[in-house]
Amino acid sequence: MAGDWYLYEVFQAFLSAPAYHLLLEAFLVLWILRLILTKSYKPHKTRLGAKEKEELIAEWTPEPLVPDTPSDHYTLHPRVVDGKPGKTVTINGKKILNMGTLNFLNMIENKAMEEAAITSLKTYGVGSCGPRGFYGTVDAHLQLEDKLAKFLGVEEAVLYSFGFSTISSAIPAYAKRGDVLFVDAGVSFAIQQGIAASRSHVRYFKHNDVDDLKRLLQLQADTDSKHPKRARVIRKFVIVEGLYLNYGDICPLPELVAIKQEYCVRLFVEESLSFGVLGASGKGVTEHFGISVDEVDLICGSLENALAAIGGFCCGKSYVIDHQRLSGLGYCFSASMPPMIASAAITSLEQLENNPDIFSALVRNSRWLHEKISSIPGVEVGGDPISPVKHISLKDCGENGEQETRMLEEIVQEAENQGVALTVARYLHNEEAHPLRPSIRLAVSSSLTQPDLTLALRVISNACASVHRRDLDAVE
Amino acid sequence: MQAAGLVNPNTSWLNSRGAWLFYILIITVGHLILLSFPFLSVAAVWTLTNTIHNIVTFTVLHTLKGTPWMTADQGKSRLQTHWEQIDCGTQFTSTRKFFTAVPVAVFILASFYTKYDTVHFFVNSLSLLFVLLPKLPQFHGVRLFGINKY
Repeated sequence: MAGDWYLYEVFQAFLSAPAYHLLLEAFLVLWILRLILTKSYKPHKTRLGAKEKEELIAEWTPEPLVPDTPSDHYTLHPRVVDGKPGKTVTINGKKILNMGTLNFLNMIENKAMEEAAITSLKTYGVGSCGPRGFYGTVDAHLQLEDKLAKFLGVEEAVLYSFGFSTISSAIPAYAKRGDVLFVDAGVSFAIQQGIAASRSHVRYFKHNDVDDLKRLLQLQADTDSKHPKRARVIRKFVIVEGLYLNYGDICPLPELVAIKQEYCVRLFVEESLSFGVLGASGKGVTEHFGISVDEVDLICGSLENALAAIGGFCCGKSYVIDHQRLSGLGYCFSASMPPMIASAAITSLEQLENNPDIFSALVRNSRWLHEKISSIPGVEVGGDPISPVKHISLKDCGENGEQETRMLEEIVQEAENQGVALTVARYLHNEEAHPLRPSIRLAVSSSLTQPDLTLALRVISNACASVHRRDLDAVE
Repeated sequence: MQAAGLVNPNTSWLNSRGAWLFYILIITVGHLILLSFPFLSVAAVWTLTNTIHNIVTFTVLHTLKGTPWMTADQGKSRLQTHWEQIDCGTQFTSTRKFFTAVPVAVFILASFYTKYDTVHFFVNSLSLLFVLLPKLPQFHGVRLFGINKY
């Protein structure tokens, strides 16, 4: 066959080729030529001419370094704190009772922790400033991860250097574009950042409303049954907080676990506040409800609140957690936590294990204050009675958030004058997903004794009464 | 077109001139191997070269989706074919032009060496259609009849 082949014949064939064939070839050649001759877009080279540069510079008006702020704005009148904000705090040179910082177990003033940190500092220095996967890991990190995993009864824990970035790195490590997140409307700002970074679809359900969550999951299930191919490739997550920072109440975990089984979703619980607070030995919301930690797919916690260290952790099954060592952006690209902080956190955990009484003391203090503050006229206390975070807001203030905030600020100032440090809960209102009610965020500590509690109650009660009276006078 | 903060290693290698040369060499070597079979006519070999090339590029560039690398795009490329990921979805880049021109060149050569035979023409032009249509900017992200959508 090949022997029959001559180039001459081919040219003969070309000359007698059918017209449709030649037309197609001509069209293709012209099309390709046009494609080649049109200007190529060069992906990485955008050069600006001198004129364009000048135009851009002329267009640009710099924002003021300090925006226009009313003179009574709280950032212009900072409270200067000296020393450790422990059971008492020194504000503007005056030592008063501290109920403003999230120092639930008063670990800040724990001597053993301090000594452990100093010893570790002498051994390791201040740390390598390298990420964990890049010369940043020392044995203290591994010991703390082991210790956390053992303490919570999980397979593995992974450490982050900053509490806020723990959950905001963990969510986008699992939830990707196209996935669906069912999120409680009351979640804190860190979770909202994680949700935004995940690029997933978000469905907010009403705060602590299990029926609303079921409704949304049912809607999703209906959509999924219409598009089974799509449903096969999307993941569904339910994201809640154990103890809500912005509300002070506890998530209905037993119902959530039942829902998780019914609708086949993954359950993430953020335990920044509940870790070291809820449960008979401080293991968090799972221990509080007597639910196995294995029922929750991912637990994130902070070492910054109850443990008085710095950083955060995620824990759960090794299969789930290990993924973060290459996909958790905060883990991969942030410098590891200073080893002395890790050593301090280890000691702090040991202290929790050795003194289980502090948890009952914390619950007792929280309950007592909740009951007493609720009975102050004109005041509402949000949250669970056993929660050490309480949101005190004013009744009969209507929708006027600004006025309520102003009155709360006055109460805080009055309480400070009388010897108790409180704080108004501060939010980035323009960036929060849902509006939040103005409140005083009261933090209870296990180290408060009965005289301290009585003092705190009396001061809060007096401050509320005097501000209410002043407010009434102003109206008249 | 979107901002490309980080390189997608799944497609960035296609921009190198070495990869272009390698692509042409692969076609040439494959063609020479087919020519070495004595029982195949030159016309059959050219049609085979063209069809195999089109089947392979259609599979690799237009049906396989996602990337084996972890990129910072939060799973955007999970639903994109290899072709759609090239230059982060930017159209009319030189890489796209090159990879569009090569199948047309192979088709014209195949037409020439098959003496403009009708049967060969039918096979070659049909397979060409499968690799040219998905490369058009108008078909970027389009999944006809929802095939291979998720």
